[in-house]
Amino acid sequence: MRIFQRTSFNFIKHRKIAYGFSIILLVAGMLSLAIKGLNYGIDFRGGSEVVIRFEKNADVGQIRSVLDAAGVSGTLKQYGMDRSFLFSTVFQGDTGQLKSLVSNALHERIKGNPHEIVRIDAVGPSIASDLKWSAIKALLASLLAILLYVGIRFEIKFATTGVIAIFHDILTVLGLFSILGGLFSFMPLEMDQSIIAAFLTIAGYSITDTVVVYDRIRERIRGQKPSEYERIFNESMNQTLSRTIITSGTVLLSVFVLFIFAGPAIRGFAFAVFAGIIIGTYSSIFVAAPLVYDWLHLTKSSVRLRGSKTA
Amino acid sequence: MKNKRFNLLLIIVVTLVSLWSLWPTWRDYSLSKQINGFGSAQDSLKYALSHREEIEEARKKSLKLGLDLRGGMHLVMEVDQVDLFEQKAWNKDPKFIAIMQAVRASAARSDARIIDLLLAEFKKDNIRLSRYFYDIRNSDQEIVSKLEKESVDALSRAKEIIRNRIDQYGVAEPVITTQGSRKIIIELPGVSDENRVRNLLKGTAKLEFRLLREPEVMVRTLDRINSFLVQNSTVPKVSPVPDSSSVAAASLPGSEKVAQAGMSTASNPLYDVVGLSQNGTAYTSERTREYVLSLLRRSDIQALLPMDSELLFAAKPDIGKGGEKLYTIYLVKKGPELTGGVITEAKATFGSQGVQPEVLMSMNTEGTSKWARITGANIGKRIAIVLDGVVYSAPVVQSKIPNGNSVINGIESLEEAKDLEIVLKAGALPAPVRITEERSVGPSLGADYIRAGIQSLAWAFFAVSVFMLVYYKKAGIAANIALVLNILIVLSVLAGFNASLSLPGIAGIVLTIGMAVDANVLIYERIREELAEGKGVLAAVTQGYDRAFSSILDSHVTTLSAAFLLYTYGIGPIQGFAVTLMIGTSASLFTAIVVTREIFHLLLAKNLMTEKSFG
Repeated sequence: MRIFQRTSFNFIKHRKIAYGFSIILLVAGMLSLAIKGLNYGIDFRGGSEVVIRFEKNADVGQIRSVLDAAGVSGTLKQYGMDRSFLFSTVFQGDTGQLKSLVSNALHERIKGNPHEIVRIDAVGPSIASDLKWSAIKALLASLLAILLYVGIRFEIKFATTGVIAIFHDILTVLGLFSILGGLFSFMPLEMDQSIIAAFLTIAGYSITDTVVVYDRIRERIRGQKPSEYERIFNESMNQTLSRTIITSGTVLLSVFVLFIFAGPAIRGFAFAVFAGIIIGTYSSIFVAAPLVYDWLHLTKSSVRLRGSKTA
Repeated sequence: MKNKRFNLLLIIVVTLVSLWSLWPTWRDYSLSKQINGFGSAQDSLKYALSHREEIEEARKKSLKLGLDLRGGMHLVMEVDQVDLFEQKAWNKDPKFIAIMQAVRASAARSDARIIDLLLAEFKKDNIRLSRYFYDIRNSDQEIVSKLEKESVDALSRAKEIIRNRIDQYGVAEPVITTQGSRKIIIELPGVSDENRVRNLLKGTAKLEFRLLREPEVMVRTLDRINSFLVQNSTVPKVSPVPDSSSVAAASLPGSEKVAQAGMSTASNPLYDVVGLSQNGTAYTSERTREYVLSLLRRSDIQALLPMDSELLFAAKPDIGKGGEKLYTIYLVKKGPELTGGVITEAKATFGSQGVQPEVLMSMNTEGTSKWARITGANIGKRIAIVLDGVVYSAPVVQSKIPNGNSVINGIESLEEAKDLEIVLKAGALPAPVRITEERSVGPSLGADYIRAGIQSLAWAFFAVSVFMLVYYKKAGIAANIALVLNILIVLSVLAGFNASLSLPGIAGIVLTIGMAVDANVLIYERIREELAEGKGVLAAVTQGYDRAFSSILDSHVTTLSAAFLLYTYGIGPIQGFAVTLMIGTSASLFTAIVVTREIFHLLLAKNLMTEKSFG
């Protein structure tokens, strides 16, 4: 079986359309980030969360009013699919007290529908800011590492555009999180540690796809005249199109499985990786390689590549 | 030929080692299945006892499940460094106390290191640290490094004490580690009584024996505070809840003063909330306790206390006539006569009447002789037994106690007495700790997570392997064999290194399933290209592997470095994800390249491969 065999899309010619599309996506995301902001999970804002599961179906409004009457202020949301609710409130040093308060109130007021507190998380404000810092550090360090590695393996133009493509992917997903955050009850899309893990996974994977395309360009561009670059870029991208899409496809398959089966705790992560891989695949063809082309074109330089001996 | 044989040998060895490493996990699983399979509990117990060694051996070496899958508690505790540094100072004048208060306030707002904040506050007032810390000749820098060392020591001591407490309480496989200069991370799998564990961990367990002031002194002090409050008109309303003040006053029985106070509320602000009985015992009700506490903490009120004295509350309330809970207030000497450091043994038991739980303590020789001297010199006086700043009991010394025994009573339940026994035996923490992060997962949610994880694994494997078969035909089989080996390697490495598998870890394996076949996709696509150029199968396979290698290496290195950084900067659950992703990615370099290639060689040698084998 074969998909995308012997294609001859003129990617380079139409690159401006792709640039425009990317810019619209990015600007929409940034606008949403500026206006609506992000939905931070307790990892980054601090606070306490209680997951309550009922034996039978329960009404959100009723539980909310019971908790209000008991004097526990916070927000209550449906959590996942199965009669579970997530109650979040400000940080409580003593989660035992919070637990008994919630539990007693529900026990007294909602009869005939026993509940169980299946999870309690509490993150103090100092920890939350620690986590935020280490997340930022991890992201920056990974981008730097990728820049260095690709810079050594290829050359600086390839490395820089590769990292620009990663930025593009992560920022687009971040924008999506802001736009879609809180819209769906089955995936709240909160920014927490697992989303940072998703971003790093996206960064690692985005460059994977990009490197496959670069590798082919490197293999074919050696000793060619700059006037031939457009043809070589196009041919290389068409030749690698099939593998780029299939490699992403297998990962998308397994991430989709995670999204469906792994439960609400993993759903935000799965969504981020899913979106990130689609965008990463798109950007490796429509953003990273065309940018290298433009750069070469504008500076009228020819490529001096390293390490293509293996090819 | 030699090289080929080496690869084949390597594959066999890796497979065998993986299976061997996962064998205990399988044994553990089948043994516990067998135990649960018996009809009666007796049979199960009998089987468990007769196979005890085998079961324990298997369990020890089997793949551990993370806290989220087993259910349990994850706690991060922070050592209060401000308190620790305060303890180290030796000349605590009001200036020092003011500075430390400023440090405490700024520590609550910023994430900077406490020692830097401390230094900054002292710099601001142009005071050298040596005025309060260590030797007067020390420079600021020397003192800072000494205090830093002190806090590292305190952290490791606190960790040991917490480990002792947990060991005494009895939790299977606790993991206790330190992070940075003030955090202790505690993982307790399978803990059911979270509240009790929390109380057990957070108490400092600082035990002190302190002399009580005479009742007359107490009465005079309270009078002084009361008249100060009357004069000081800046205190507008005495009670936090206006209407409860009269209720509180009226409900404090057996007190003439309160009765008077009830008549003239405005003139006796203190006695509205504090009752005083004829024998000079002061108390306050549960409702007004917080308010009185905050009142007594004020520095202008503190100044009214007699020299070297402080007011402490009882740990447990007494039940008053009206069923009201009343907390006794004690005026005690500031300096302890003796501290908990001398306690060598503690035992929870029931008291002489057989109903009241209490904790018996014995002391070391030094403590015994001191205790004998103290009790001998204070016959007829009262000595308060203070634990973590609250008074458990304040018995009157009847006679000299020569054998170093003492007892804590005023304890509500035997369970609490047992917990006190544990903390007293483990010793006092060098400084107070507080819980800054807590995550607990109940066992039922853990079971859900396991089910969800296994489902995701199965479906992901199914989807990806079917795709590979359909798309690449025979070559797809090779990739799928490699995939199975890959998963096996990830699990066996986790089991072999005693790492635990968490839900994010499973997510990492699922992601690995998708990524591991990528290398095969790259190779197969390349082989197809070579075949399309008209090369023979053998040449196409060789070229395909050689030419795809560079992009495979690049993509693996980038994924690995991202996962490694995630592991370095991430905490807890995210590290689990990073670990499985790292193992899976490295393993796929081996399985996708070496294993599939070896399979092709075998097939090619037997003429079982044609151009059509690549779909």
